[in-house]
Amino acid sequence: MIRLEKVTLAYGESIILDSIDLVIPTGKTMVILGESGSGKTTILKCVLGTLRPASGRVLANDQEIGRLNEEELLRFRQRMGMVFQEGALFDSLTVGENVGFWLWEHTDFSDEKVEERVRTLLKFVGLETSIDQKPSDLSGGMRRRVAIARAMAAEDPVFMLYDEPTTGLDPFTSKSICDLMRRVQREFQSTNIVVTHDLTDAYRVGDLFTFIKDARVIQTGTRKEIENSSDPFIRTFLSLDL
Amino acid sequence: MVLKAFRFLLVHFRFRESLVEMDRLGVGSIPIVFFANIFAGLDMALQFSVVMAPYGATNMLGRVVATSIIRDLGPVLASLVMSARVTAGITSELGMMATTQQIEALMVMGVDPVDRLIAPKLLAGMLMLPILSVVGDLLGVLAGLVVAQFGANVPPPQFWSGVRTALTMANLVNGILKPFIFGFILVSIGCYYGIRTTGGAQGVGRATTKAVVLAAIWILIANFLISKFLIDIWGWKL
Repeated sequence: MIRLEKVTLAYGESIILDSIDLVIPTGKTMVILGESGSGKTTILKCVLGTLRPASGRVLANDQEIGRLNEEELLRFRQRMGMVFQEGALFDSLTVGENVGFWLWEHTDFSDEKVEERVRTLLKFVGLETSIDQKPSDLSGGMRRRVAIARAMAAEDPVFMLYDEPTTGLDPFTSKSICDLMRRVQREFQSTNIVVTHDLTDAYRVGDLFTFIKDARVIQTGTRKEIENSSDPFIRTFLSLDL
Repeated sequence: MVLKAFRFLLVHFRFRESLVEMDRLGVGSIPIVFFANIFAGLDMALQFSVVMAPYGATNMLGRVVATSIIRDLGPVLASLVMSARVTAGITSELGMMATTQQIEALMVMGVDPVDRLIAPKLLAGMLMLPILSVVGDLLGVLAGLVVAQFGANVPPPQFWSGVRTALTMANLVNGILKPFIFGFILVSIGCYYGIRTTGGAQGVGRATTKAVVLAAIWILIANFLISKFLIDIWGWKL
């Protein structure tokens, strides 16, 4: 379970997160929706521990992230998979090296064993033939798939975080990425947070939905609950996107 | 960041990554550093021979050229040339990584960027610059010999005898300590600006320019300070 309790973050005068409360139950996918610049990605960064809130707590399986020292934080992140907006693949490494990176860094696996695992993961995301390609040779959709494979390389990613995983992709590729995210959740029973502003993709992957506006949570609930919301922002958001 | 990098070098030494960086930073810089040193040696011998000839002092040419190159020109020139190549390369590489979230991705994967990216570069810079500088010095002196023989009519044995007198402990310490410290300066400045880059491609360009300029300035300042420090230790001996 991931829990944010009264998380507040500000850069100088500008408030990025204002007393955010969120609970993402184990094995569920929470989709965070909202306008650009509303603080969605900042929530992911607080969960990752790359940003520390000015006040409030972020807990992952009852472990308070803000209290971890640097080494504990690095260890904690080993059980977390993160898919960045553009994939954030290491462009000096091949696809296979990107996916195997975690294994080379944190395990004593032989090269053969790492390669076997890399091939399995690439097969899972449908890119087993791209193992020797460089990220620059891949399309946007392929890069996201590799990023997902890389995020799964840890033996049991307990938490999966996705930062706008379908932005800039065509509808077909977006759908295939969403399907892949669903398969990942089923495979690992992971607790997921997905940040997006695309409602169609949100419905494809989400169990729970949170709307953020002006650094505050305005509503959290199931699809049915948000569709019945009387909040004018949510009503406008839903009507514009569909 | 630098202290952390040294700590990682001691407790978690990455042999393979360090070798890769030595190849990229050091071996890759061989042509440009050697080219610069050869022409500096040629020019230095030429200029000194013009100044010394009226006083009949060209027999000192070997000593003067070798001393200038070993103590000052060789290390400074090698470092300035390398700062244009290495500092710019490091800043733009790390800057690009920072702006495309690759550094964040490293952290998320439980890898400290200082350990994976900075420590091997720092080690490579501090080891490879003295090596390049020493070989560059030798080439500079050899180039000086060519000018001495064909331009100033100084016989090679006389030139070499002067060079041998320049190979004092004070000069050699100068010639090795300086590039060691300059290597540290040019890599750490490159890493510092690279890893803090924001603002996309324009930000990478800005960070790179700033890093190269600052590295050059700090190399010149450090050169004076080290010279002063060593002269205070060794006295005015050549």
